[in-house]
Amino acid sequence: MNWRRYADHPFWQAAALLVAAYVVIVYVVPLFPGSALVPKSVVLQYMATVLVGVLIYVSDNEERWIRFREPIHAALVEPRLRPVRAGLLVAVPALVGLVAYGQVRTTVAAPPNLRSIHPAPPSEITFRGKTITLTGLDNPLRQHPESSAAYAADGKRIYYQNCLPCHGDHLDGQGHYAPGFNPIPANFQDNGTIAQLTESFVFWRVAKGGPGLPREGTPWNSAMPRWEDFLTEREIWSVILFLYDQTGWKPRTWETAGEAGKRKGDD
Amino acid sequence: MISALLALGLAAGAPFPLPPSPLPVQDTVKGKVVYEKWCAGCHGETGAGDGPAAAYMLPRPRNFTGAVYKIRTTASGQLPTDADLLRAIDEGLAGSAMPAWKGRLSDAERRDVLAYLKTFSSFFADTSQHVVALKFGGEPGGGTSAEALKVGRQFYDSIGCRKCHGDQGRGDGPSAPTLKDDAGFPIFAADLHQSWRFRGGATAADIYRRLRTGLDGTPMPSFSDLIDQKFLTDEQLWRLAQYVRSLSPARTPEVRDVIHAPRLAAALPAAPGDSVWDRVDRYWLPLVGQVIRKPRWFGPAVSGVWVQAVHDGKSVALRVSWDDRTRSPDTTWLGFERRVLETVAGDDSGGGRTAGPFPDQLAVQFPRRIPEGMERPYFLMGTETDAVYQWRWTSAGGSGAAGGAVGGLARGLERFDTLPGGPAAQTSYEHGEWRVMFTRSLATPDTANELQFAAGRAIPVAFFAWDGSSGEHGNRLAVSTWYFLALDQPTPPRVFVTPVVVMLLTLGLGIVVVRRVQRRQA
Repeated sequence: MNWRRYADHPFWQAAALLVAAYVVIVYVVPLFPGSALVPKSVVLQYMATVLVGVLIYVSDNEERWIRFREPIHAALVEPRLRPVRAGLLVAVPALVGLVAYGQVRTTVAAPPNLRSIHPAPPSEITFRGKTITLTGLDNPLRQHPESSAAYAADGKRIYYQNCLPCHGDHLDGQGHYAPGFNPIPANFQDNGTIAQLTESFVFWRVAKGGPGLPREGTPWNSAMPRWEDFLTEREIWSVILFLYDQTGWKPRTWETAGEAGKRKGDD
Repeated sequence: MISALLALGLAAGAPFPLPPSPLPVQDTVKGKVVYEKWCAGCHGETGAGDGPAAAYMLPRPRNFTGAVYKIRTTASGQLPTDADLLRAIDEGLAGSAMPAWKGRLSDAERRDVLAYLKTFSSFFADTSQHVVALKFGGEPGGGTSAEALKVGRQFYDSIGCRKCHGDQGRGDGPSAPTLKDDAGFPIFAADLHQSWRFRGGATAADIYRRLRTGLDGTPMPSFSDLIDQKFLTDEQLWRLAQYVRSLSPARTPEVRDVIHAPRLAAALPAAPGDSVWDRVDRYWLPLVGQVIRKPRWFGPAVSGVWVQAVHDGKSVALRVSWDDRTRSPDTTWLGFERRVLETVAGDDSGGGRTAGPFPDQLAVQFPRRIPEGMERPYFLMGTETDAVYQWRWTSAGGSGAAGGAVGGLARGLERFDTLPGGPAAQTSYEHGEWRVMFTRSLATPDTANELQFAAGRAIPVAFFAWDGSSGEHGNRLAVSTWYFLALDQPTPPRVFVTPVVVMLLTLGLGIVVVRRVQRRQA
């Protein structure tokens, strides 16, 4: 029952915890939907945090602390553990050297792309010379529920002839042109896009496209066209109706969207 | 995938009688609902491949009414199996607009839609036809050996692959400009250097299967009869598949943000074919159609460029290589070009859709100066007020010292002003591949307009390509987003000194700790 002795021992528990934390951060976290590889510097920070937590735990109780130190002490003094001692004296500096090399090595990385995904909208826009007030505006086509199926059908045709290459068949931003652009096209199936926006916000984004973004939206990178050059006001409202119809999301209404104005004040 | 394989295995080799469909119960009523919601936009309400989006893509969506399918496991001229159709639905068709629906639609929805799309053709209703997948032996080993590839190459020549696919497989064979599918749409002989765009899959086994089944409805025949006639053995056909596979990179190229340009101690490469380039990392950057400004273009011919760069502290050399079936301007492709223009929609082109002959072109774009923050000019050739610095090359530029290249400022897609003293360029065109090498000194006198290269910085860079023989010119082009070019700096000594110092310190500290503990113990 050798392993049980190890399993009960605070030192080996701490070691196992550190290994488990490393595995989770490096290999498990990227598997979550929507997450990416954890950058090395962040891994280092997380591991340091875990180490501090573990040390607090083992030193919290006097008896545990003494038991925790036993294997360390033994490795330092026991004559029979001499090879382990020598191995550690080589391995630890080598590891530290490697980390240091990774830190000082010069590599040029792409500058961080700090982008506000949903920047604050203006209160009004000029659409083909006509002033449209966005604040409080709902999709005017929704005033005719009896025709909504026809509007959505119109919107569908417009979507497939214009939006499909980037936003895709499934409206998830993975059209056949999507890999060519950065930032990637908006995913309308995601609960973070049209699901939490008012239709007037979507209208602004469609009508003015990438070039109409404020600076915090990185207008220089966005491949979203200015659709007012291609589509009429009604065509844009139809396609917006289709986006909600096809994905099943409900637009944010102005009663619940009070913070759209607040957000603007915050920025 | 597993269910498809299972179904294939069952259909191919089961010793006991099976129900006609190895798949669970399918519901065409539910399938119709799914089809009309997610498929009809491209494939059309009646399955004729004529949905509203059909004209905005090349290749066109499948027309289900004829029941002719390219990617099958069945003999040439036969219907596909259910598993064949389900594979296309589940995994999509690479290199086309067809996405993978697995994970987007439920298992039941995909099965139902499969059942429904079979109702578009009466051929599937005829249950007397027993559709079975062809049974193939396994892939012979040693497929990457020089010997195997030599055998493959021998049959590549002898069975006529090169007539369409060209000597080096880039789809530039003498018959390529004449190709159309059964519906009359223009069809490209596949570029065998881009296996990640093969509709039927990229493995040698996938390629072998295409050689056995042919691509129905296209000029690509089945070569099964050549085995029957003992013109070649099954193993030799496998070798051909392995040879074709060897023309593409072993893995789908990964798109990386930063193009690293090593600093050379020796001289910069003298020509686009210089052996220096073989030792430099190359970067694949995808290009897509320009669909942002009028007139838009939904049929981009250049799917991406390979980029390499080096510098020597004084000058930078940048090599851009891309596959292009034609050395434009080329009048032998005029008919093909006309068919492309007729097939791909251009509702907002405002006229000007006459066929060439246009030259091939390339533009490499930088900002005028390296940005300090994250802000940079608009990726699509800047704007009227914020110009970008570009190197532009055209195949019609003659063979002067500049090699057809100029430097200049673009202010949006419509305006380009040439600057004096552009980069030097050298060009080669061989077997369907352009290689353009630009060279320019890092610093120039015109610091206001021309980018001053600096090592150790992330320099924004973007690429644009026109294939003249696909009718591309002006706003009809393929575009990329911003990437970055980084000229490597000579490694400062501290990179090597610091780790050594840190290691010695750690070792010393370790020895001190061990000594002290041992002394205390004693």
